[in-house]
Amino acid sequence: MTVAIVLLALLGSAWLLAVIEGWMATGRLSPAAPLFRGLAHLGRESIVPRSPDRVFFEAAPVLLLVVAVLGMAVLPLAPDLIIADLGTGALFVNAALAYVLVAVIMAGWGPDGAYGMIGGWRFLGQLIAYSMLIVMPITAVAMRAESLVNTAIVGSQAGLWNIVYQPLGFVLFYIAAMALAFRAPFDLPSAEGELGGGVDAEYTGVRLAVLRLARLTLVVTLASATTVFYLGGWHGPLLPPSAWSLIKTLAVAVSMLLVGHYLPRIREANLMRWCWVLGIPLALLNIIIVGLLILVVP
Amino acid sequence: MSFLELYSLLLALVVGIVATILGLYGFVRVMGSARGEPGKDVPASSGVLSRDPVWGRYHARYYGYALLFLAFDMEMAFMYPWAVVYKEVGLVALYDMGVFLAILFLGLLYGWSQGALRRQ
Repeated sequence: MTVAIVLLALLGSAWLLAVIEGWMATGRLSPAAPLFRGLAHLGRESIVPRSPDRVFFEAAPVLLLVVAVLGMAVLPLAPDLIIADLGTGALFVNAALAYVLVAVIMAGWGPDGAYGMIGGWRFLGQLIAYSMLIVMPITAVAMRAESLVNTAIVGSQAGLWNIVYQPLGFVLFYIAAMALAFRAPFDLPSAEGELGGGVDAEYTGVRLAVLRLARLTLVVTLASATTVFYLGGWHGPLLPPSAWSLIKTLAVAVSMLLVGHYLPRIREANLMRWCWVLGIPLALLNIIIVGLLILVVP
Repeated sequence: MSFLELYSLLLALVVGIVATILGLYGFVRVMGSARGEPGKDVPASSGVLSRDPVWGRYHARYYGYALLFLAFDMEMAFMYPWAVVYKEVGLVALYDMGVFLAILFLGLLYGWSQGALRRQ
C-alpha cells in the first residue's frame, strides 16, 4: 500500500513537471501532452546504433530510473509514509544517486557515438565538481539530527527547519542537486547546443521514453531529498503531513526548472573551478559552523 | 521491519521496475517493427560519418581535480559515523575532526598553489 502511494506520488509529480516543462518550452499549458508524447514514443521506431555496446546501451535508461526510484524509496512523505526507513537512510540516498554517474557514462559509451561519448566523460568531471557538495551538507544535517535515519532527520527539524539553521548548506546542496540531475545550467552531458543531445542523442522510441521519465523522476527525488534534509519534510500547519511534503517537493522541483530556464549553461572548466575553489571551503565552513552551533546552543 | 525485510523490499522494487520496463519493451515489439534501411543506424555526428569506433582515448582534462577528489571522498567515509556521534562526544569530536579537516584543507590549498585546480 505504502509502495503504491509513494510510486503514484512520484509518477504524478513527474507528470506535473513534464506539463510545466512543456509550458515553459511552448507557452501552452496542456495537461495531457506528457501522456500523448509518451504514447507517441511507444509508436516510434527505437533504433539501435550500428555497433553498440549492447549491454551498456540497454542498461543505462533502466539503471537511471531504478536509482531515482530507490533514492525516493528511503525518503519519507509522512512519519509512516515511507517505503523503507533504513538505519542508514541519508547515506543510502548518496549511494543510490552515485549510480547516476554510472548510468550516464553507460549511456554515453554504449551507442559508440562521438557526442554521447564526450557527454559521458564530461559528466565524470561534473561528478568530481558536485559530489562533495552533496555529501558534505548532508553530514552537517546528520550532525544536528544525531542520526542517519531520514524520519529522525525530519523529526530534528520540528522546531527550526534546517534551511534557517544551516542556510549555507542548503544553498550548496540545492546547486549540487541541480548538477546531479543534469538540469539546465548544468546540463553538460546532454547539452543540446554543443553536443546535439550528448548522452540523449542516440536514444529513440521507447528507450527515450524511459530515459525522459528517469530524468524527471530524478528531479523529483532530489527535490524530495532537499525537502527532507532542509525544508522540514512533513512539518507544517493545518494540512496533513503528506500534503506538506508534496507541496514542498513540487515547489523545489519547479524552482529548479525555473532557475534552469533563465540561466545560461555553465562551462565545465568554470563549474569545476567554482565548486573546488569556493564550494568545498564553504561546505567545510558550514560543517564547522553547525558543529559550533550544536555545542554552544543547547 | 527488520533490515533484511527492508532490503528485500527494495530489491523487490528494483525487480518490479525492471519487469515493468521489459514489459513495455515487449509491448512495443509486439506492436510491430519498422523496415530496416542502410544508414538509419549511424550515430549522430552532424552529417559526417565519424571514424569507427569512437571508443578511444579521451583526454580527462580534470585529472588534477580527480586526484584531490580521491582524498576528499575517502574523508567522507569517516565523516558519516563521526556526524552521528558528534553531539554525544562533544568538543573532543570537533577538535579531532578539525585537525583532520585542517590537514586535508592544507592539501587542497597546496594543490591549488601548484595549479591542480585548473582544467589542464
